[in-house]
Amino acid sequence: MIRAVVAAFASLYSIKFITTVVYMLQSVEYRPGPYLAWLWRTQNFATVMKRRRLDMTKPALLLWWSVAIGMFVQYGIGLALIVLQIQGETSFGGMFGLALLLAAPVVWAHLVALPLELGRLLIIAPKEQKHIAESRLIFASHPAIKIAIAGSYGKTSMKELLTTVLGEAKSVAATPGNKNVAISHAYFAKRLTGKEEVLIIEYGEGEPGDVARFAHNTNPTHAVITGVAPAHLDRYKTVQAAGEDIFAVDSHVSAGQAYVNNVAKRIEPFLRDHHAIFNDKEALGYKVTNVKLTLSGTTFTLSKGTKRIALQSGLIGRHNVATLAFVAAFALELGLTPAQVKAGVAKTKPYEHRMQPYKLSGAWVIDDTYNGNIEGIRAGTALLGELEAKRKIYVSPGLVDQGVETEPVHIEMGWLIAESQPDVVVLMANSVTPYIQKGLEQAGFKGEIRIEHNPLAFYMNLEHFVAAGDIVLLQNDWTDNYH
Amino acid sequence: MKHIAVFFGGKSTEHDVSIVTAISSVIKPLSLSKQYTVVPVYVAKDGAWYSDKKLLDIKTFTSGSIDTWLQSAKPVSVSFDGGLQIITNKGVGKRSKTRIDVLFPALHGTYGEDGSFQGLARMAGIPYVGCGLDASVLAMDKVLAKIMAADSGIATSPMVHANIKQYNQDPQAFEKLCEKQLTYPLFVKPAHLGSSIGISRVTNANELANALEVAFHYDNSVLVEQAIPNLIEVTLPIMGNDSPKPALLERPLTTAEDFFDFDTKYIKGGGKKGAKGAQGYSELPAKLDKTLYAKAEKLGLAVYAALGCQGTARVDMLIDSKTSKVYFNEVNPMPGDLYAHNWRAAGVSSVSLVESLISLAIERHASEATQNTVFSTNYLQQF
Repeated sequence: MIRAVVAAFASLYSIKFITTVVYMLQSVEYRPGPYLAWLWRTQNFATVMKRRRLDMTKPALLLWWSVAIGMFVQYGIGLALIVLQIQGETSFGGMFGLALLLAAPVVWAHLVALPLELGRLLIIAPKEQKHIAESRLIFASHPAIKIAIAGSYGKTSMKELLTTVLGEAKSVAATPGNKNVAISHAYFAKRLTGKEEVLIIEYGEGEPGDVARFAHNTNPTHAVITGVAPAHLDRYKTVQAAGEDIFAVDSHVSAGQAYVNNVAKRIEPFLRDHHAIFNDKEALGYKVTNVKLTLSGTTFTLSKGTKRIALQSGLIGRHNVATLAFVAAFALELGLTPAQVKAGVAKTKPYEHRMQPYKLSGAWVIDDTYNGNIEGIRAGTALLGELEAKRKIYVSPGLVDQGVETEPVHIEMGWLIAESQPDVVVLMANSVTPYIQKGLEQAGFKGEIRIEHNPLAFYMNLEHFVAAGDIVLLQNDWTDNYH
Repeated sequence: MKHIAVFFGGKSTEHDVSIVTAISSVIKPLSLSKQYTVVPVYVAKDGAWYSDKKLLDIKTFTSGSIDTWLQSAKPVSVSFDGGLQIITNKGVGKRSKTRIDVLFPALHGTYGEDGSFQGLARMAGIPYVGCGLDASVLAMDKVLAKIMAADSGIATSPMVHANIKQYNQDPQAFEKLCEKQLTYPLFVKPAHLGSSIGISRVTNANELANALEVAFHYDNSVLVEQAIPNLIEVTLPIMGNDSPKPALLERPLTTAEDFFDFDTKYIKGGGKKGAKGAQGYSELPAKLDKTLYAKAEKLGLAVYAALGCQGTARVDMLIDSKTSKVYFNEVNPMPGDLYAHNWRAAGVSSVSLVESLISLAIERHASEATQNTVFSTNYLQQF
């Protein structure tokens, strides 16, 4: 204990401290809020940089030198005051000088955030507001079908699937990657030609009022709601508040043009009669049958009356069936031929770090490390439970930003893991680990539980832990700022 | 946590192979298992032992900095006071002692795999990984191994052998004996070396004479074997004490004209472009028909039992593809890289492999401890 306190104190005065501070800023994209939250949470600055090194870009270099010079000047003044007292020039200056010396790292770690916050408020925010106002006009006058995608999870997959399948017959534009906030929508609007037939806009909600604002800016004609789960609860506080925000898009589209995935129970309180629901049994009046899941993909049949289409996708996991069925049905409703839909669905394959299978040392590894919510955990563990393997290994650090739901969500996660009956559960040690263990214990898990204190080392050496016949499910991954 | 001393390097032609085996296939997975404290013991080419954290890093060896380090490093010593302790000298009057629970010899060839090290471990009275003294001696002597196998009714290729004294007395007589009893092509092999060092394939008397000279340069015992026609070469890693389990039958992708020498095996990656080390050169599992696969697997297990192998070993076999006859070729009591690639394909991870080997070592030691080694007599009273 005493050693840990001494090490933590010493880390403030290490030569690496300035680099660590700038690394923290760079990791949170120079946003003062998350930076300060991380700074105040950190006890030992020597153990922060685990995942990568500081990338010495121009802004990073400028900040590094600003902090270094600031601290150097403060140390100089502090030392001068101490020397003056020793020489009898002042009576109390020495104490003040000592305080300056000791406080220098803390003072400059905070002062460095000040220009960033001021810059954000005085320069960046007004510029962004201008771009957003301009984009509002672009979206309002654009003749395309504008599909808003909202939800606590599965938004990017829905967007990519719609883009791939509708792209077989329509000119489709979608917000890129995970660029899903107002300013990203504004930049997306600027790149549009006006000739697109379908626009797909992902809404990345983060705090109350976000979705209503996004809908106001982008003027959608259709909305797809993928689900509600505990996410960003540091801001929303409750799942109810998050759900209300997500369903705010509802009021911006006509009745019957809000499509809701109702597979997960948490969505039920928000369902209304005018919603068009879809799930893994039916979508927009089409029945879903003959579902087959393997590690190479998913097959199912979509049928309505005498119309039957056998579909095959490279995506894995039962949770994708509802999304695939909806996308196929929606494409048919938009006028795509069955052959075009079939070809589009056949092109779908796992996205990076989202239920992405690959072979390692003869084992199958399912990389689901971008999965950050309990419904994703449910989908992944369900898949693990369904697959045949000589040995099943489940790996996760747990979930972040679960707010007041942290304990119940992780206990539930423990139950879900236990239900999938893995032989080994590897948990990355952090504040939520005891809750997952509690869930595993409550569910009567009898396999091996392994607690890893160095996640990066574990992931990098995974090949040594696995062999042919193993299936490993990696769910979620915490970056340095969450430790 | 148990202290596992991993010995590697050694006074052997396979010194460098041993370093790679130890660091990549033993030390790394042992460290990852977090069940043990690994104590690296590097046996330099002159036979001196060194132990230091620096030796855990392969870069120490690949960069060549080991030679500079050895100039200033102090060798360790051992004490046998109720087990085995590694004593590290840390300057004048400063010594640190580490009690070792299990020895893991990641050593290949002479002094490491031939029973010498196993004898030392047995004297110390602590568990050690791999075959015991007797099996190591037999396995590392290709002549004795074949005699033992044949004694158990296991088919082996026809051979003639001689020690250096017999050969030197009349080399030509030995060459004639080979030609009389065997039919070309022949393989000339040093009896005690592994990693294909000193082995030649010969098709006439001139080549035979040269090959014998080369082989006797490396070893004092040499055997000459008749080549098996229509050859399929297979190898089978096996693990266990009383109930050994096979991994997968593996087939090196070579022909009789292109057999594996040291370079092909370890440096050129088996001749396959881009493949590295011993892992990229074979068919795994060997594509044999079910009956032949089962026959070879059965013969491998029979050899393992006949030679009294324990812990792990790899049995090499030769198959005449026309007659489907399987012959025992040789046993490797400490396969390079532990044949971890094969075990992984058979469903045993690298971490599980080293953990299992340590468990087997402890199991054997416990079993040996129950044997009575004391016999009371009145012999001394007669004097």
